[in-house]
Amino acid sequence: MRRPHTEFVNLNVFACLQIINSNHMLILIAWRNLWRHRTRSLVIIASVALGIWAGAFIVSLYYGMGNERVRIAIEQEVSHLQVHHPGFQDDHDVAFHFNRDSLAAVLRKVPGLRAFSQRLTAMGMLANAAGSNGVQINGIDPAAESDTRGLHGFVVAGAYFDAGRRHQILVGKKLADKMKLAPGAKVVLTFQDREQHITSGAFRIAGIYETANAPLDERNVYVRRDELGDLLGLPEQATEAAVLLHDDAQVPEAFAFLRSKLPELLVEDWQSVSPETALVMSSLDLSSFIIIGIILLALAFGIINTMLMAVLERTHEIGMLMAVGMTKGRLFGMVVLETAFLTLVGSPIGIALALLVNAWLSKTGIDLTAVAENVMKGFGYGAVIYPDLPEEKVWQILVIVCLTALLASVFPAWKALRMKPAEAIRR
Amino acid sequence: MKKTVIDIHNVSKVYNPDTIPVHAVNNVHLHFEQGEFTALVGPSGSGKTTLLNIIGGLDAPTQGSVIINGTDITHLSANALIRFRLHHIGFVFQSYNLVPVLTARENVEFIMLLQGVSKAGRERRVRELMAAVGLSDKMDVRPAQLSGGQQQRVAVARALASKPQFILADEPTANLDSHSAANLLDMMAQLNRDEGMTFIFSTHDARVIERAGRVITLVDGSIASDTARVETGV
Ligand SMILES: Nc1ncnc2c1ncn2[C@@H]1O[C@H](COP(=O)(O)OP(=O)(O)OP(=O)(O)O)[C@@H](O)[C@H]1O
Ligand SMILES: [Mg+2]
Repeated sequence: MRRPHTEFVNLNVFACLQIINSNHMLILIAWRNLWRHRTRSLVIIASVALGIWAGAFIVSLYYGMGNERVRIAIEQEVSHLQVHHPGFQDDHDVAFHFNRDSLAAVLRKVPGLRAFSQRLTAMGMLANAAGSNGVQINGIDPAAESDTRGLHGFVVAGAYFDAGRRHQILVGKKLADKMKLAPGAKVVLTFQDREQHITSGAFRIAGIYETANAPLDERNVYVRRDELGDLLGLPEQATEAAVLLHDDAQVPEAFAFLRSKLPELLVEDWQSVSPETALVMSSLDLSSFIIIGIILLALAFGIINTMLMAVLERTHEIGMLMAVGMTKGRLFGMVVLETAFLTLVGSPIGIALALLVNAWLSKTGIDLTAVAENVMKGFGYGAVIYPDLPEEKVWQILVIVCLTALLASVFPAWKALRMKPAEAIRR
Repeated sequence: MKKTVIDIHNVSKVYNPDTIPVHAVNNVHLHFEQGEFTALVGPSGSGKTTLLNIIGGLDAPTQGSVIINGTDITHLSANALIRFRLHHIGFVFQSYNLVPVLTARENVEFIMLLQGVSKAGRERRVRELMAAVGLSDKMDVRPAQLSGGQQQRVAVARALASKPQFILADEPTANLDSHSAANLLDMMAQLNRDEGMTFIFSTHDARVIERAGRVITLVDGSIASDTARVETGV
């Protein structure tokens, strides 16, 4: 039998009104019970508020760290987009090169372009009297490299390339420390040229650089592209081009442009050039979940404990209510409702707290220089974290905190149900 | 012949049957008819509370049956029993009868809300009942602001609100001074006389016993005597 749609809706509304009407006294009792034990209610309200705030703070911290990591990856390491010969990725061999001038003509037209840099890279060995170390030799145009990655800004000792001198090299601080290298010292780079002949060249250290990413610093040395090109026999070539855009949002457009203009070359965005950055983000997500889980657990125990106290304290009253006709379902609802009200009061406070603290900290940042600068650098982070709290995360935290609070009230409510009226009334 | 409201057949209650058994009620047979005004007396520990709890379905007997209006309540499930109590039995306990966060009016209204009585019906009956217990001026006061005697009166009003078959009261005057106790008894007796409400109450108080129409004496869980007086109340 088909029932007209409107009638069905009316019936539902009527049923809802009936339920609300017969239970409004429950709501009233639950609401007024909140004010019976103010301190206790305040404890739960505060736990809910703090739970939301702490959850949001942890998430914002992790997002801040994640953003920072991405910023560093883009602005100091891999840029927004990179272009290679398709074979280069598997085997960083100089055989996989392309012509610089023809690529430059395309790169200049990339939509949203801020700067680009073309590099000639070779794997090799850096040696001095004390020993040797495997390195990636990056032949760069010093000015272009500064524009795309700000490399000159990372020099901590000596100087960036000096126009008047030839065969200069820039080494990372970690490597310099390891091999006891100082500006002015002489080192020898050894590598294979395009004909697979072992070639070497002597370079003098111009400066020592240090970025936020210590592991990368140890592996990468920088020389002038022309000098490396001559040694390799590839004066007009490059193996890598990095493109920096004005805005992260322009990546898809620029990517599509390069794809269509450079069908024979491999164009990648920063996520595929640096998958470890994407991985770091997901591991941050995981650890933030774990910490939020711990916070929720503490919240749940606090609520279970407090509501259990409230229930046990009212044993006589609950027995009396069951005696005079309050069914178990309603009794259960009353205890859960009481928690729900407390959560309802606590959560807006928590959200306000979270938003306020975030608004403040996202401006000032949290400076970890004093406590953990080296640790942070070891993982490729800056020492100042600017927390970032995406709006949808706030709602997610709100929902899981409220669910946790309600779930936590189930046990005390169940305890109330288990009471035997005769025994409860004797108390 | 008057209508039988309660029929108690061979009821016994043993607490802790597996450890140290306490025989609180032993093989009790009792009938209660509509309109009776009965006092349950006996020394402390004689089983008064236990028997009242069994009659009211708050506790299950170890043996025997309790038939109220033709229903054997010893076979009802916990929730069915709660609903049965809501519609058939009124309770007044020794103290702390009321929900402390509700006003006197709300305490009485609450029962009718649970029963699903309409708003108009509830309001009329609350007013009637509060007038009947002499507390029309204390409707919107919370229990903590009422004297012990006034609280017990509200409890009686609440017990009446559901229009039960009978009211069970376990030492309703125990926490009252003699003046308030006499007042409460007057009121109960009047409700018994005017409305035919059946009362069964336990008590230690000799002056209360005097007022009863029927006095059942329990000793060690057994009925030692069961005497009816010709006139009730007054
Ligand atoms: N939950 C229980 N567990 C074990 N024994 C109990 C329990 N409740 C009551 N008793 C015992 O059962 C017996 C009867 O108790 P009950 O409370 O019914 O007596 P009473 O006549 O109401 O006493 P009083 O006048 O002191 O209220 C007593 O010996 C008491 O100790
Ligand atoms: Mg007793």
